[in-house]
Amino acid sequence: MNNDYDITQVEKYFDNELSDGEVSAFMERIANDPPFKALVNQERNLIQGIRLEGLKRDLQYLKSVEDTINSHKIISPASAARRLWYYAAAAAVALIATIGIMLYGPSESADELFVTYYDKPYPNIFEPTVRGARDHETQRSEAFLAYDNGDYARAAELFNELLKVKKEPGVLMLLGNANLMLGRTEEAKQNFITLLNDFDELDLPAKWFLSLCYLKSGDVENARKVLKELGETEVSYANKAKELLNKVD
Amino acid sequence: MTQNEIIQKIKDGGQAELGLVYETYRKEFLHWLAKDYHCSSDDCQDIYQLTILVFHDNIKNGKLEHLVSSVKTYLFGIGKNIAMDFGRKAKRNSPIDQERWLTDYLIDEVESAPTDSMFDYARKALLNLGEPCRQLIELFYYGKKNMEEITTILNYKNAETAKNQKCKCMKRLRKLYETEQSRTLIDTL
Repeated sequence: MNNDYDITQVEKYFDNELSDGEVSAFMERIANDPPFKALVNQERNLIQGIRLEGLKRDLQYLKSVEDTINSHKIISPASAARRLWYYAAAAAVALIATIGIMLYGPSESADELFVTYYDKPYPNIFEPTVRGARDHETQRSEAFLAYDNGDYARAAELFNELLKVKKEPGVLMLLGNANLMLGRTEEAKQNFITLLNDFDELDLPAKWFLSLCYLKSGDVENARKVLKELGETEVSYANKAKELLNKVD
Repeated sequence: MTQNEIIQKIKDGGQAELGLVYETYRKEFLHWLAKDYHCSSDDCQDIYQLTILVFHDNIKNGKLEHLVSSVKTYLFGIGKNIAMDFGRKAKRNSPIDQERWLTDYLIDEVESAPTDSMFDYARKALLNLGEPCRQLIELFYYGKKNMEEITTILNYKNAETAKNQKCKCMKRLRKLYETEQSRTLIDTL
């Protein structure tokens, strides 16, 4: 039976938190204590398993990027920010095939699916330019900075103020994500719906996040509907998503 | 952007940065691979994807901090080894299986190699772990983010809270792993 002290030592070893002296004692114990050695091996295997899952996820992402390049030939000299955005969108769509399966899986609720697939907010790739000290411009910098720093409550407050001055797709996208991070699903839903209705930009990620809002609020039917719409787009994994949805309908 | 700035960008970034690097060297790499190793377009793409993942993994794990050559030369070096590896396997009529290759890549790293079933226990344990534990554990062990970065990403109160949470999540993950292991053992009896 392993005691808590042993487990703590093993965890510290893999997290590089042991001193040189402690590492020497640790290695000696591995050499002379088979049950302890087995515990170390199990922890190592678990960490390798975590890494394998991460690698597999990134592999699927690169495949979606490849599909996107092949279908759009986006080798044009677009700005780095726009290309980053494009790949972030591709990453979102790459998850559709998986979530299509999960929607009908017996083990996870819609809310759990939301938690699984909303792993991080949309990145701030809009990079506002601060040109002066007028109130709304100062607020603008502060809003994006708060978002980057993970202060979503402050970011949401300031993004709402910005939208009163001018409606912008990037601000709506980040506000929707800030609201999602704060658990304000209804508000987030409205942000993405406004983004979809009023602008032509950011349609793909907006639909993705809207589908997650529906999942979060337990509205599986609407989530399915939006995912189906995404499946009918011409980007990367869309065809696979469509095929999958057809199979389960 | 300098070579070392590219490395720093990958180290600090996420998938979007990975996609950007993928696109940057893709055309030249695929052309070189097809010319020198006579692989099909699909096989070349498979090898390139694995090359980018190894490059990314080396940066995240601190194996690559500064480049003496260019990123391109480094990528071609990794790609050559992977292509030769697949070349050897092709002689044994094994098709390219990227997930198998990634599993072997991780197995080769450690002395007491984990078996396929151990990876399967870990996969199932992670699946049952739930959020935000799964994300926290992955950010730490795969993304190699430190506690300060995790605090920001997952909105924890401070790094100490994030660290305590990480220890609790690992404790749960170990239990789930052992449950999966026992379940398989019982099934085989």
